[in-house]
Amino acid sequence: MRLSILSGIFSYFGSVTSSIVSLTGSCMTVIPYLLRLGDNSKEITEGYPDPISSKIADDLPPRTRGFLFNNIDLCTGCEDCVRICPSRCIRVEAEQAGNSSKMWVSRFDIDFSKCVFCGLCVEVCHSESLVHTRQFEGAAYHLKELTEHFGRGQVTFEQREKWILLRKMVEDDEE
Amino acid sequence: MDFRKICILIEQWVEKFNLAPKWVHLTFTLVAVYFFILIPSGWFFSYLKRKISADFQARVGPSTCGPSGLFQPMADFLKLLQKENRNEVSHTETLWLSIYSMIFYSTMPVIPLGSLVLLVDTEISAFIPFWATLVLALGTILLGLSRGAITGWYGGIRIAVQTLSGVFPAFICLLCAGVGMKSFQWSLWAKSQGFFPWSWNFLSNPFEFVAFIVFVMSGLVILAVSPLDGGFSMSDIHGNVSSFLHGRWLALYQFCRFYVFFMWSVVAVVLFLGAWVLPSWVYTLADGEHLKFIGIVELLFLLIKVFFLMLVIVWISCVTPVSRVDQITNFSWKILSPFALVALVGASVLFSWKTVGR
Repeated sequence: MRLSILSGIFSYFGSVTSSIVSLTGSCMTVIPYLLRLGDNSKEITEGYPDPISSKIADDLPPRTRGFLFNNIDLCTGCEDCVRICPSRCIRVEAEQAGNSSKMWVSRFDIDFSKCVFCGLCVEVCHSESLVHTRQFEGAAYHLKELTEHFGRGQVTFEQREKWILLRKMVEDDEE
Repeated sequence: MDFRKICILIEQWVEKFNLAPKWVHLTFTLVAVYFFILIPSGWFFSYLKRKISADFQARVGPSTCGPSGLFQPMADFLKLLQKENRNEVSHTETLWLSIYSMIFYSTMPVIPLGSLVLLVDTEISAFIPFWATLVLALGTILLGLSRGAITGWYGGIRIAVQTLSGVFPAFICLLCAGVGMKSFQWSLWAKSQGFFPWSWNFLSNPFEFVAFIVFVMSGLVILAVSPLDGGFSMSDIHGNVSSFLHGRWLALYQFCRFYVFFMWSVVAVVLFLGAWVLPSWVYTLADGEHLKFIGIVELLFLLIKVFFLMLVIVWISCVTPVSRVDQITNFSWKILSPFALVALVGASVLFSWKTVGR
């Protein structure tokens, strides 16, 4: 019993001492950086944007998840991207485009201030209209500027019918 | 019309309401302390902290805004003031931030910033900054509860638990420092110490040295200052205490965080590191008008010591990993508290031995 109390006390003070020694050693490791001794005189990181090492879009890896772009002509308005988005940054309003099976996507907004660039919406998009670009610089002065609008806009029924006819003419010409 | 005439006019107007005119001087002094001491201190400390931590990490640090990036903290502050809030701040969050700000107005008069700015010098002055720490804990609990989620509720309670675990050893160390003192007046504490380090309280005996170390670390635990910030550093367990704050709310929050760190460091310097005392020959030269100049030099000397202490803590925080709340409370109860008690008992026995010996 006496041995266990003593050993307990010794281990207690031993752990305190080793912590102090470890902390002191950690503090000493940064002294060469602070005093810029030897090879530590160079500063590794550079200011942004630096003309020498700044990245442009072409330098980035092929699967970079940059800002999103939605090709509204391909978009079917299924809203799978809305359902899967973890940060709920996509807002879609779509309605039946007259007699056509296509959906009129009047609104397709992505709020990039909420987007975490996870890529789930791109993975789930069947029509492959939603893709990542390689753009990564998006600083803006106002929050509103961080919301991108890809929708066709609100139009009347007659305007939509006109669009469907025009679209059909274009598709027939392409065929 | 100069400043003194304005003060006299205001005093005469205030006297009509049977209010003591001294509060006019007090108000102006507090405003002066806020704008000419606290804000510049926050600015300068933020700059030093960013530059030194950048050096540790082989980075450049602030370098573009002003000479050597000196104006970077002010530029960031102005940017935050203009930043749009993502979500509207609810009434509960406003309540929390109001309580948080109360720390300023309730403890600013009590901070001992030298003989020139010693507004509240009572027998219990040393206990009053603890009020700030408890208000901070209350405010943080309310913030956690206001989140309306389990993480918020548990996070707020964790912060409270952490604060209370640090208050106990801090109080014990305060009593230890006060062994032999007749009261807890700031001026008495300053008079009991000298200019040179060997005349400071923390080197008077080994127990006072231990009490100093424990007092500083307890303060870090109570106020959740890095490296013992525990709950404040992990958004998933502290209930997003500060992660929702943006713009001017974040600026106020960050300034409050600097203020409590600064306040605790000032108290530690006054209790253990010689306060604002200058060499004795300086006081023999002082007369009438020069007293104010001496007061300013005392303030600057105090601020140098305070910044040195704060930067040592920043240095330690740069080289230590982040701790969990339970690790910090464990440390506080199992390491800091026993050492504080041993220091108190040891200092008391030593003091009794010396007084009996006489």
